[in-house]
Amino acid sequence: MARKDTPLSRIELLQGTLDFIVLQTLRWGPRHGYGLAQMIRASSRDVLQVDTGSLYPALHRLERAGHIEADWDTSENNQRVRVYRLTTAGRKQLAAERTKWEQLSDAITGIMTPPPPAAEGET
Amino acid sequence: MKFSWRGRSRRDAELDDEIRGHLALAQAERVARGESLADAAFAARREFGNVGMVKEITREQWGGGAIWLERLMQDLRYALRSLRRAPGFATVAILTLALGIGVNTAMFTVVNGVLLRSLPFVQPDRLLLVSYKQQNNPWAREPSLSDRDYVLFKARTKAFASVATFSGGQVTVTGAGEPVRLDAASVTPEFIGILGVAPAIGSTFSPDDGKVGRAPVVVLGDKLWRDRYSADPGIVGKLVVVNGIANTVVGVMPAGFDFPGHAELWQPTEVVVRPNNTWSRPVVGRLRPGATLEQAVAELNAMVPQFGVFPGAQRQEMAAEIVPLKQFVVGNVERALWIFAGAVGFVLLIACANVANLLLMRATSRQQEIAVRAALGAERPRLIRQLLTESVVIAVVGGAIGVVLALVGVQLLVQLAPAGRIPRVEELRVDGRVLLFTAGLSVFTGILFGLAPALRATRRELRDTIAHGARTISSRHGGMRGALVIGEIALALVLLAGAGLMIRSFARMRAVELGFRPANVVAMTVDLPRSTYRDGAAMQRFHQSVLDGLAALPDVEAVGAVNWRPLGGNLIAGDFQAEGVNPSKGWGDKMAVTPGYFRTWGIRLRGGREFTAQDDSTAVQVVIVSASIARKFWPNTDAVGKRISYEDKPTAGSWMTIVGVVDDVLQEGVRREPGPALYRPVAQTTFPFFLEHMSFGVRTASPVATVAPGMRRVLRIVDKDQPVQKIATMEELVASTTLEPLFQARLLALFSVLALMLAAIGIYGVLAYSVAERTHEIGIRVALGAQARDVSRMVLRRTLALSLPGVAIGVAGALAVTRVLDRLLFGVKPNDPATLVVVAALLASVALVAALVPARRAARVDPVIALRSE
Repeated sequence: MARKDTPLSRIELLQGTLDFIVLQTLRWGPRHGYGLAQMIRASSRDVLQVDTGSLYPALHRLERAGHIEADWDTSENNQRVRVYRLTTAGRKQLAAERTKWEQLSDAITGIMTPPPPAAEGET
Repeated sequence: MKFSWRGRSRRDAELDDEIRGHLALAQAERVARGESLADAAFAARREFGNVGMVKEITREQWGGGAIWLERLMQDLRYALRSLRRAPGFATVAILTLALGIGVNTAMFTVVNGVLLRSLPFVQPDRLLLVSYKQQNNPWAREPSLSDRDYVLFKARTKAFASVATFSGGQVTVTGAGEPVRLDAASVTPEFIGILGVAPAIGSTFSPDDGKVGRAPVVVLGDKLWRDRYSADPGIVGKLVVVNGIANTVVGVMPAGFDFPGHAELWQPTEVVVRPNNTWSRPVVGRLRPGATLEQAVAELNAMVPQFGVFPGAQRQEMAAEIVPLKQFVVGNVERALWIFAGAVGFVLLIACANVANLLLMRATSRQQEIAVRAALGAERPRLIRQLLTESVVIAVVGGAIGVVLALVGVQLLVQLAPAGRIPRVEELRVDGRVLLFTAGLSVFTGILFGLAPALRATRRELRDTIAHGARTISSRHGGMRGALVIGEIALALVLLAGAGLMIRSFARMRAVELGFRPANVVAMTVDLPRSTYRDGAAMQRFHQSVLDGLAALPDVEAVGAVNWRPLGGNLIAGDFQAEGVNPSKGWGDKMAVTPGYFRTWGIRLRGGREFTAQDDSTAVQVVIVSASIARKFWPNTDAVGKRISYEDKPTAGSWMTIVGVVDDVLQEGVRREPGPALYRPVAQTTFPFFLEHMSFGVRTASPVATVAPGMRRVLRIVDKDQPVQKIATMEELVASTTLEPLFQARLLALFSVLALMLAAIGIYGVLAYSVAERTHEIGIRVALGAQARDVSRMVLRRTLALSLPGVAIGVAGALAVTRVLDRLLFGVKPNDPATLVVVAALLASVALVAALVPARRAARVDPVIALRSE
């Protein structure tokens, strides 16, 4: 992929982290892909820019795993969109991921003093 | 399957919709922010990234085994499309590989049928041959045991559940249509049971069959039973006349069972040790369950000290070995077959090098395409896979055509091969294993020739060519193309050297001094059954009648007879004592001949006289010796008049007077030295064993084809029950001893011509391409004043730069590899310098010829056109 230089420092997501973020974001209610991308960016204060090439695979992967389910809906401007929602299994998964994440986060925080942001590394 | 495909296409459509929705939302939001519709659409797309790639990665998440299949189908479709776009390239590449894979498939069919497929016996890998024999013993070429050793081994072996001896031969069957000579086997009663084949009808032999005093019995083969006894289901218990003796049929073997050789009937025999005779026969055994080959070998080695030693041999010349039964069937063709398999492997490698070169040239012209695909997001592994799919498609199509070529090729090979010299030839066919081999070979070949070009074509710096023209990069392939051509030349040279050696060796064989003049001689061999001809005198009367009849045929110059004729395959050798010399003991072939023998066969008399009708049973015992005996025992005096005896302790009556000395004769074919020989008059020979097998010869002025029917007629008049064992001209018989080397030489020559052709095409292709590639440069040179001669010279320099290292490597390779031919060669060393010089010169000239057209084309480059073409 051609390189896009951006002034903002963006964080490459840790392997598996995107699934966690998607599940976490869907906790606020069903979303379509575009909406999810926008919301993740906004809630991370523009730090996390999710690549569509990562987002859609993640959505379809989670759907296959049964953590989320999808339905066709119509958006405000009459566009047919595919909307994803958390399943019960997804909620359980989220809880498990959350615990794992907190442990990892604590561990990294312990290693790094003063504490850095959520994760490390520059693109 | 169908269902899941449909599900897949539905999901594909949904994914399209989903992405379309994404783009529409993004665009709508931008429009709402005040961007123009066109800007918004563009920005949304840009932000989204590569739609095709996102789709592809997303699809991978759907799982199921179909993803790789889908990709493969996609790659295949792409490969087929791109090959259709380059039909010239595709045709040349496919045909080149079809040739390479075709010859390999044909050769593998033979290797598979002869060497790999197991023998049609029960657990054939448990069947072994036990052998203790003199190495290089001319009359015990096959693994064998002497009767004495066999009896000892059979009594003591623990590793084998059972052992048996067997020997092949011919018998006469009468009383069922015309008398006929058939291949038959004389076996100990356990033999068929050891092989584990059950009779189709009746039973096989019982343990006492074959013993003296037992009623003679016989087991028939399926073919004989059908051809001569109209497949009579009640044949068991009926009589079949074999060699004039009525044998009771005890069983019929199933179709396809004809071991050993092409035996059509089996007779039981008992091994009896006789103190004065040393019979050697092959011995087959079946390993006891649980016993290993190592145990069998150890057991045999432990018994060796008690085994006897061949007369005239030293113990250290004897070798004990246990070999698979298959070796008996396959014999000496194994080595030759593997050599041919290697040779066709070389041909395939050369074909691969050619196709790899084509691919490299094509990669240059596809640079743009590949660069575009890379820029559109195709990953390097994906690109490589796609290019490899293309090469494998080429190879597989080539392989499919190759199988067709192989079907024809195997037929040609079998027809070209001397009759009966390829064992198990009736089992040769393209079976599943051959097809599997070809399929595997094709895929392997596709990757072999495709990998390097694919790796090169997708290198990052090459992919960056989207902005440049292709011209600047192409020359980087030059080194690799050159290396491939050098390799081709080297491989072709090794093959040519092999073929050259075989041809020289064959020429040497044909030039060997035979000791007799085969032209214009027709020989007819007859075996007399002792049941009809009970003693020597009866046989002598038969011989005389036949000779009289033959002498009366028109245009006959001489007639004569001999029991062991030259190249006849049968021979008795033994020792003798020379009188009054020291050492007195000698060894030689012992023949019985009629007075006309030497004249008929054209064997030169060096001194003394031939036998005459007066040398009969009442006259003084006489003998004629060959030159090497005369030279050895009487180097300074005339051997004529001296006496020799066949007895170890000569009695007064056993001395025979030498009346003549003749040339040594090649009794056993060109590979053996002409040996010492002793000839006795038939009329003074009484022992039936020396008289029952007789070859009658006619030296004639008329065409030999017209003589043979007359000879058969004479035999029929003398005794209508005696079939001709063999009738042929001596020239045919001489030629037949070199048929195998001739076949081998021809086959290797064929393969090396293929190799040479492919190498020439390779050289031509690379030179022609480099001239085309450098047209611009040549144009500049010509514009700057270079002459046509200089330009041609440039091409020729490149030719030399390719062919000289190729030839040098090839010569080194030939020196290393042709050693495998050692045992097939006659009278020429594997590193024969003359052969190497000739083939090196041949290859260099072929390279120059291949360079002519490109050189001329380069010389004709018009600078104006060349410079404008940029």
